Amino acid sequence: MTAITVRDLRKAYGGVVAVDGVSFEVARGETFGVIGRNGAGKTTTVECLAGLRKQDAGSIRVLGIDPARRRELARKVGVQLQDSALPDRIKVGEALRLFASFYSRPADPKKIMGTWGLEKLKNRAFSDLSGGQRQRLLLALALVGDPELVVLDELTTALDPVARRETWDLVRGLKAAGTTIVLVSHFMDEAEELCDRVAVFRDGRIAAVGSPAELMAEAGTASLEGVL
Amino acid sequence: MRAFVQLSLNELRLLARDPGSLFFMVAFPLMLLVLNSGNERLEIFLPSYMAMILAIGGIAALPGIVATYRERKVLRRLAVTPISPVMLLGAQVAAQLVMGLVGSLVVIVAGMAVFGVAAPAHPLPLVLAFTLSALMTCAIGFVIAAVAPRARTADLLGLTVMFPMIFLAGAAIPREGLPGTLRSVGDYLPLTQAVTAMREGWFGTPAALPLLLLTGIIIVCTAIAAFTFRWE
Repeated sequence: MTAITVRDLRKAYGGVVAVDGVSFEVARGETFGVIGRNGAGKTTTVECLAGLRKQDAGSIRVLGIDPARRRELARKVGVQLQDSALPDRIKVGEALRLFASFYSRPADPKKIMGTWGLEKLKNRAFSDLSGGQRQRLLLALALVGDPELVVLDELTTALDPVARRETWDLVRGLKAAGTTIVLVSHFMDEAEELCDRVAVFRDGRIAAVGSPAELMAEAGTASLEGVL
Repeated sequence: MRAFVQLSLNELRLLARDPGSLFFMVAFPLMLLVLNSGNERLEIFLPSYMAMILAIGGIAALPGIVATYRERKVLRRLAVTPISPVMLLGAQVAAQLVMGLVGSLVVIVAGMAVFGVAAPAHPLPLVLAFTLSALMTCAIGFVIAAVAPRARTADLLGLTVMFPMIFLAGAAIPREGLPGTLRSVGDYLPLTQAVTAMREGWFGTPAALPLLLLTGIIIVCTAIAAFTFRWE
């Protein structure tokens, strides 16, 4: 079953083309990597998927929904955005309970806090969290609506190596629970570790799609770094 | 509805955690009341302070809060949830209304219980005037948040608009003591209508004109804010 279908996606800002004819499909339960250098069109593609931008041309269906119907989409899709934040004085537990109230069948905020190691931080204000703790909270907020599909943009950019590995384990847990995952990253090791398939973005187009092993075999390299 | 209540409660908690809002909307008006308590006609001051409290919240504090939410992409984060970011703006109004009510009740109770001010003569018109005044100050605040390019400019603009207004509109000090030219400036300030409407509700004869003017200002400012507001 298909979770996401993207056909001939195009998006330009002024005269600058950001995404130029991108097509791909993601199956249900799959972890799909979107990788590429900065400015390759990854974030624009993901913002169109999440309904934050309207494409100039092409069609998108996410779980059968046109992302232009943003509210409807948001009931089933959790999004962790790059560099978004919360008010300084909101506490971790309050943020999770607040976001849970936005959904008709949310996950239990307590349980989420347990899974994501936020229990000890529940009375801590957002401004007092470290970069890694913030990232973990924002990720937990993307999951509190119990989504069928999650979009994770630059998941581990702000994290130290230990926190990155811990986050990877949590993503594997999500995957094991059957959640479809779109993972945007410029870390090749992350894509290799977590993704079933990867789309390599270059200059607004998809240069290659396949499993990490296939892509490395095609390019004749021992790591995805070489594919880029 | 549940989401709106939770958002409003959350905004109220955040306001109450802000020492600036707590001081200027609750402690400061009480302080002014005590300083003026030797005045013969203390009933003039209570409705004026109510207008001042609402102006401090809606015109001075709200623009910075909203512009910060935009700048730090809190609004954008809400855009990918099933609720609309517009709801967050509504929750701001609800929180300001409650916070303004708390600040007002503190000066009202002190004024009546400690300093013997007579109870309001027309409670219902007073409540209506208070509600419209709160909506008006918030509507002005949203215009400021819409035109300010950054959070810091929004803060500064809010203070720049609020400070002269509370003095010239007779909210912080009675207008009767102002020199002629300055007093006539007040005739054209939105907050003057709030002061007039609430004074009429407390000890005068409630008239329709100030309430209609307040409603008009709410409609015009909301329309301007809606047209010029940027979500990112």
